[in-house]
Amino acid sequence: MIYFQVLVNGLTLGALYACLAVGFSLVWGVLNVINMLHGSLIILGGYLTFFAWLNWKVHPLLALLPVAALTFLLGWVIQATMINRLVRQPVLTTLTVTFGLDLILYNAMNVVFEATPRRVTLDLGTLLLGEVVVAWDRIVAFALALGLTLLLYGVMRTSRAGRAIVAVRMDRDAAELMGIRIDRVYAMTFAIGAALAGACGALLAMVFPITTNLSGLLLGKAFVVCVIGGLGTVPGALAGGIALGLIESFAGHWFGPQNAVLIGFLLMLVLLMTRPTGLLGRRGYE
Amino acid sequence: METPTLKPPRLLARLAQAAALCLGLAIGPAALAQDVVRIGAPLALTGGLADEGKKQEVAYDMWLKRVNAAGGIAVGNRKLRVELIKYDYQSDEKRAQQIAERLITQDKVDFLTSPFGSGHTKVVAGVAERYGVPVMASVASSESVFNQGYQYLFGTLAPNGGIVQNMAAMFPKQITGLKRIAILGREDVFPRAMAAEMKKAAEAVGLEVVYSDFYPVGTLDHASALSRIKAAAPQWIYITGYTQDLILARKQMADIKLTAPVVTMITGPAYREFVDGLGKLAEGVTSASWWHHSLTYKSDDVFGSTEAFYKEFVAREKKDPDYVHASAAAALVALQKAIERAGTLDRAKVRDALARLDILTFYGPIRFGANGMNGGRDLPIVQVRDGKVVPLFPEAIKAGTLVPMPAQ
Repeated sequence: MIYFQVLVNGLTLGALYACLAVGFSLVWGVLNVINMLHGSLIILGGYLTFFAWLNWKVHPLLALLPVAALTFLLGWVIQATMINRLVRQPVLTTLTVTFGLDLILYNAMNVVFEATPRRVTLDLGTLLLGEVVVAWDRIVAFALALGLTLLLYGVMRTSRAGRAIVAVRMDRDAAELMGIRIDRVYAMTFAIGAALAGACGALLAMVFPITTNLSGLLLGKAFVVCVIGGLGTVPGALAGGIALGLIESFAGHWFGPQNAVLIGFLLMLVLLMTRPTGLLGRRGYE
Repeated sequence: METPTLKPPRLLARLAQAAALCLGLAIGPAALAQDVVRIGAPLALTGGLADEGKKQEVAYDMWLKRVNAAGGIAVGNRKLRVELIKYDYQSDEKRAQQIAERLITQDKVDFLTSPFGSGHTKVVAGVAERYGVPVMASVASSESVFNQGYQYLFGTLAPNGGIVQNMAAMFPKQITGLKRIAILGREDVFPRAMAAEMKKAAEAVGLEVVYSDFYPVGTLDHASALSRIKAAAPQWIYITGYTQDLILARKQMADIKLTAPVVTMITGPAYREFVDGLGKLAEGVTSASWWHHSLTYKSDDVFGSTEAFYKEFVAREKKDPDYVHASAAAALVALQKAIERAGTLDRAKVRDALARLDILTFYGPIRFGANGMNGGRDLPIVQVRDGKVVPLFPEAIKAGTLVPMPAQ
């Protein structure tokens, strides 16, 4: 029975990891920008949710959309005003810019919110399946990770904007020649990535104590998830997240918690050597 | 062939000149009669330890204002105002080291304070030792920092061991059937030491340790460790870590419906944000701390009593102080007393005065042992009840007896 609990733990953890990574993967895959801001954007989403709950008693699930909209706007502004000027530069240049922006956002949050860990103390209760227990907030996170991935997948497949994003990803120059306004597509993509980070932060505020200290950790996890799941496909982040969650959960059970993270990284290395595109990645994005 | 013969003496002369200049500069300010006491403070104001660094900053400032309002520190027959020189070392160990060097060599501080945590204290103490500058450590409690043979390091926290021994002796007597304990510790200097100390203390009083493991820094999930603990069915769950780890661990305990009659978190409930971040889930959690604001010490330092410190803090910060605030202020109180007793700013003499110090402060008694650590005393054991932290021990401040964790 304990294995079933470990499996459920792994799945729910994996869903959170998928949530963390889906926006990061999109930006990396389409813009070829490694968005170092991603972790701090998630934390910003978490703080906005926390203060909306603290001051106006807004339920985190209700706050999710407005928070995502706010981070969407922020993402748009950042991309349109700064990153678009550099997006044709080598990946190291944009990485440095987002790194610098991350330092600014991170420290600004430290000044404004202080680093005190804060959590929305709203417990949604647990679901009992025989002897296995799952917390409802984790189930919601799972559903949200799935929902966001499906939504993104749908948008990319069917909407005009989505097709434009996919076209830009495939061949930037050809897309430009076809009349797609590259700058706008980039801004849109970055903004969607930021909105996904904000939504994830809203969810995290119920599960984790939100503190700026977490931002680097979250970014690191998003990185690993992308490497495992593969870049360039939307379901990659979901697959990578779930895989990492399961690996860490079972490794923690068998080899102790101090080795769980280590084993996750080891498997990532093995995967990099044997299958650099990741589980679901496409060639050309490794 | 003229130049080669002339060059070395000329070079020597230049060097001698330069050396004389340097010496002159170095001696210059010291030779002048000093009218301020300069204390250097490397603080983690940004980065991972920003929250803790800011706590030290607030406490230092409270002390500074009081001292300067009273005209300064009495050195011999003069009163010298105090100047605190602060730098943000961004929670970065290497930068802490550089800043300690800078404070000593460029800012010419008389004394130093150390940053938050055992790891960074060790680094700063190493620099201070080299220059012979007394350094006051307010938030380092691991003996591995104080067993380096440093002569100039003084810490206001008591050794880690004392904090758990009282608990291990007391809890099994108060909760019937308390026989099995599970220990989960963070893989980090202080939390690791606290987990190891508890294992020793528990075994010493005959408890069965049914689970004992560590989780790495940066863990975002405790579910697998907690599931194993659940399977081991302990009556006492003891977890160490920093506030964010402990909030997450307690939340995940509730997620998998894991509980025990006694749940102890070090040093969770010692911090207000632990209770705030958990709400009802914090109920019943026990902890130990180096200080609690319900203590009732009366003293002749700038604060006068625990109560006065507490009141001033609450009026200023609109929240309760924790042991970090108190210990940080107490470190400077101890330094002030030592300077006053030495009657000089001479670092070696102040060091000797610190080593001989035996005083009662608003924070409690301060008497540094041979290794520079404040002596052990009866450290408070606390439990969260109705969202408030209630002291269970020592007798002098006891406001309740241990009750089992509420069922969930």
